[in-house]
Amino acid sequence: MLTLALKKEWVDAKRQGQLTWLLGIAALLLLVACLSSWQSHSRYVADQQAVSQSERARWLNQGDKGPHSAAHYGTYVMKPTSSLALLDAGLQDYQGNVIRLEAHVRNNALFRPIQDTLSVARFGQLSPAFVLQVLLPLFVILVGYGLVATEREQGTLKQLLAMGISPARLFFTKTFMLFTITSVLLIPVALCILVFNTLELRTGLFFGVYLIYVFIWCLLTTAISSLANTARKALIILLSLWAFTSLLLPKLAISYATAVHPVISGQAFQSRIESDVYTQEREQAIAKFKQQTLAHYKVSTTAELPFNWGGAQLQFGEQYADKKFDLLFSERNSQLKSQSNSYQQLGILSPFIALQTLSMGLAATDFTHHLHFSAAAEKQRRLIQETLNFNQRDNANKTTGHYKAGIELWQRIPKFNYQHPTFSSLYQQYIPSFLNLFVWLVGLTLLCAFTLKKLKLEEQR
Amino acid sequence: MITLLLSTELKNLWREKLIACVVVISCACASIAFFSGFNHSQQQHQVIQQAKIEQAMAIDKAAAGLEKRLSTTKDVKWWQDQYDLRGQAFYLMVNYASKPPLPTSPIATGQSDVLPYFFKMLIKEKQHIVHQYDYQHPLKLMLGQFDLSFVIIYILPLLIIAVCFNALSQERQHGQLRLMLLQGANIKTLINMQILLRAILVVGPFLLISVLLLITQQIGITISQIAAYVLIVISYTIFWLAISVWVISKGNTVANNAAKLMTIWLAFVIVLPAAINTSINQLYPTPSRLHYLDELRHSSDEAKKTAEKTLAAFFQDHPELANQNKPADFALKKIASINAIEKSMVSLDQEFEQAKKTQQIFADSFKFLSPATLAQAQLVSLAGNDLLRHHAFMKNVEQHHNALQVFFSREIAKANENNDFSPCAGCSAHATLKNLNTIPQFSDKFSTEATSLWGILALLIISLGIWLYSQKQIVRIAEPQQAGVLV
Repeated sequence: MLTLALKKEWVDAKRQGQLTWLLGIAALLLLVACLSSWQSHSRYVADQQAVSQSERARWLNQGDKGPHSAAHYGTYVMKPTSSLALLDAGLQDYQGNVIRLEAHVRNNALFRPIQDTLSVARFGQLSPAFVLQVLLPLFVILVGYGLVATEREQGTLKQLLAMGISPARLFFTKTFMLFTITSVLLIPVALCILVFNTLELRTGLFFGVYLIYVFIWCLLTTAISSLANTARKALIILLSLWAFTSLLLPKLAISYATAVHPVISGQAFQSRIESDVYTQEREQAIAKFKQQTLAHYKVSTTAELPFNWGGAQLQFGEQYADKKFDLLFSERNSQLKSQSNSYQQLGILSPFIALQTLSMGLAATDFTHHLHFSAAAEKQRRLIQETLNFNQRDNANKTTGHYKAGIELWQRIPKFNYQHPTFSSLYQQYIPSFLNLFVWLVGLTLLCAFTLKKLKLEEQR
Repeated sequence: MITLLLSTELKNLWREKLIACVVVISCACASIAFFSGFNHSQQQHQVIQQAKIEQAMAIDKAAAGLEKRLSTTKDVKWWQDQYDLRGQAFYLMVNYASKPPLPTSPIATGQSDVLPYFFKMLIKEKQHIVHQYDYQHPLKLMLGQFDLSFVIIYILPLLIIAVCFNALSQERQHGQLRLMLLQGANIKTLINMQILLRAILVVGPFLLISVLLLITQQIGITISQIAAYVLIVISYTIFWLAISVWVISKGNTVANNAAKLMTIWLAFVIVLPAAINTSINQLYPTPSRLHYLDELRHSSDEAKKTAEKTLAAFFQDHPELANQNKPADFALKKIASINAIEKSMVSLDQEFEQAKKTQQIFADSFKFLSPATLAQAQLVSLAGNDLLRHHAFMKNVEQHHNALQVFFSREIAKANENNDFSPCAGCSAHATLKNLNTIPQFSDKFSTEATSLWGILALLIISLGIWLYSQKQIVRIAEPQQAGVLV
C-alpha cells in the first residue's frame, strides 16, 4: 500500500513538478547550510586550539615574578565547541566564548561574535538547524497540504473509500508516505553525525528528536488535510500554524519569560559588585582574620608569623569576594535559568520551542552548557588564586613580602581542559521539552482519532 | 459603478470571518510590538539615567567627604582612595559614556540589544573597555525583539497575502466575474479596488495604532520621522500588494495563488536575507577575535618587556609630561604602557573596521535583492539603532577615552613633580584629586546623517512597476470571460 501510495503521489508530483523543485530547493539550502556551517565550525575549532595553546605557553613562560603579579597577569580560557555544534550552533554567537581569569574579579565571557555583525544578521544564518527547524516544516506543509484534501476536491477520496480501503489505512499510508519523502532531508544530518561524531547518547537523541519533529509536522499536515474541505483551507490553516508556532510564539515566549523574570542591568550588576564586595565590612573581616591568626600563633605582629601574612591575607580576601560573587552571580543566573525554564514550558504551544531547546541542549550550545563552562572557568580561577596565594604565603619574605616564583609554580596550575558534561548529568533540565514533544504526539494522536472518525463518516455517506 | 463594486466587496469581506480576524491581529500586533520596543528603549533609558545618577553621586560624595579626608591621619591605600589620581584612574572612577536611545527607537531594535550602549570608563586599554556589554539572556538576543519592524517585515506581508490571495480568483471560480464584467465593470478597477480595500483593512489599523502610540508615548518624535516611518510601511506594503496582483494576474487557482505567494514570502523574507547574511560571513569574514586576543596579550607582554623604551616613546609623544630631574611615577609608566599597547593594536583594530566596512558595502549592495532587508535597513536607521550611529558613538567614546588619558597623565605628572604621592607629615599621601568635577565628562550629543530614503523610494518605484506590468497581464483574464459573453 505504501509503495502504491508513494508511486501515485510521485506520478502526481511529477505531473505538477512541485515536489521535484521543492525537494531540490530544500536539499540545496541544506547543502549550502551544512557547508557554510562546516567552514565556520572548523575555523573556530582551529582558532580555539591554537590560541588556547598559545595562552598556556604564555602562562608558563611569563618569567620570574611575584605570585600575585602572576595572578593579575591572569590567563584566558576558551570554550571548546562540540561536534554537534556543526549542525546546531545554538547560542554560541550570542554568548562570549572567552573568559579572563584574574585576581579579585569574576569576569563575564568576552567577545560575542554577534557584536561583530551587521543588522542583517538578525534575519538569521542559513545553518542546518535553521533549515531543519524553520524550513523543513514548511517543506512538509507544501508537500502534504493537499494529500487528502485534493483527493476530496477531485472526488477520488470517495472512490478510494468505496473500494474498501479503510480510512485508517489511507490516513497512515499518506502520513508515512509524507514522512518518508520529507525525512530524505534528514539524510545529510545523519551523514554529518556519522562522519563527525561518535555514536553516543547525545547524537542518537539529537537525530531522534528531529525525526519526532518531522513526524509531528507530517501527522499534523495529514490531519489538517483530512479535516479541511478544500486544499486551500488546509494550506491556510497549516501556514498559520507554522507562522504562529515557529515565528510568533518563540519571540512572544521569550519576551514573556524575560518580563516575568527580569535580570538586573549590567550597570546595576557591576555597581552591586563594587558596593557589595569592596566594603568596610570586608576591611573589618580582614582585620578580624588578622586578629584570629595572630591569636592562633600567639604572636603580636604579622612579622612574627611563621609565614608571609600578605599571601594569607590575599587568599582570605579572595575567599571573602568569592562568597559575594557566588551570591550575586547565582542570583542573576537563577533569574536567567527561570527565563530559560519559562520559555521551555511554553514549548507545549509550539513544537519548534521544544525541538530548539532539545537540539541546542544536545549540541551543548545552549545557556545551560554556557553556565557549566562559566562555572568550570571560575573553579579554575579560584584554583589559580589559591595556589598562587598559598605559595606567596609559604615562600615570600615574612617582612618585606619580596619573592619571585618561576616556571615550577606556573606548571603547578593544571591546564584548563574543559569537557562538556554528559547529557545524562543534565537531562533533568530538558524533561519539560521531552514532555512537550510527547504531549504534541499524544495531542496529535487524538486529532488523528477524530480525523479517522470524520473519514469513516464520509465513507458511510 | 465603483461605489457599487466597493459596497459589494465590503459586504463580501464582512461575511468572511477571516477579515475581522486579520484586523484584530493587525491591531494586536501593533500594540504588542510597540510596547515591546518601547520597553526595550525605556530599559536602556533607565540604565543610562541610573549611570548618570551614580556618576553625580560619586562626585557629590567625594565633595562632601573631602574635609574629612584632608584631616585624616590614617593610612589610606592609594588604590582605595577616591582623592588619589591613581586610584581614580585605574580603579575607582565612576565615569560613564552612554548612547541614549532616540525617540524613534521603539520602531526597530536592530543591533541595539547586542551592541553596548554604555561603558564604564577607566584608564586601561581601550580594548578592555569597548568589549563590555549589558548582560541579557542570549536566547532573547537570538530570537530578537517582537518590535514594530518585526511585524512590518514578517507579519504584515503574511496578513496581506492572507486577505489578497483570493482577490478576483474567487469571483472567477464562482462565475461572478463574468456577471460583473457584463455590468460594465473594468477588470483593472475591480482588482485594484479589491486589493487596496483589503490592504487598508490590514495596514490601516496597524499604522493608525502604531503612529498614535509613537506620538503619544515618545516625546520628541518629529513629524518628519513619523512621515518617514509611514512612507517605509506604505512602500513595503505596496510591494506586497504589487506581488499579490502579479500572482493573481497569472490567472491560476486560489490554492495556486496562495502557494506561490507563500513561496515568494518565504524566499524574500526568510531565505534571501539569511542567504545574504551567510554570504557576507563566508565571503568577508571578520578576523578572528581569538587571534585578536592573542595579539593583545602579545602586545601587552612586549610593552612590559620593553618598559623603558615604551616610556621613552611615550615621552617623545608627550614631552610636556617629561621631567628631567625626577623619575616617572609608576602610574605614568602604566599609562605609557597602555598607550603602547593601544598603538600596537591599531592595525588589527583597523582590520576589523575594514572587514566591517567591506561587509557593509556588500550588505548595502545586496539589500536590494530583498524588500525585507531593504525595509529593515531603513527602519533600523530611522530608529537610530544602526551601525552608523553606533560608529559615531564609538568615535566619541574613543575621544573621551583619550581625553581621560590626557587628563590623568597630565595631573599625575604634575602630582609626581610636586611629590604629592609621597607620605607627608601627618598623612599617608596627599589628596591629589580634590574635585571630581574636573575629570572630563562624556557628551552624548552626537549626531549622524539623517536617514536617506532613496532605498525605499527605489522599492516604491519597483513595486509600482510590477503593479503596472500586472495591469497589462490582468486584462488577459478578462478576455475569455468577455469572449464567452460575445459568443
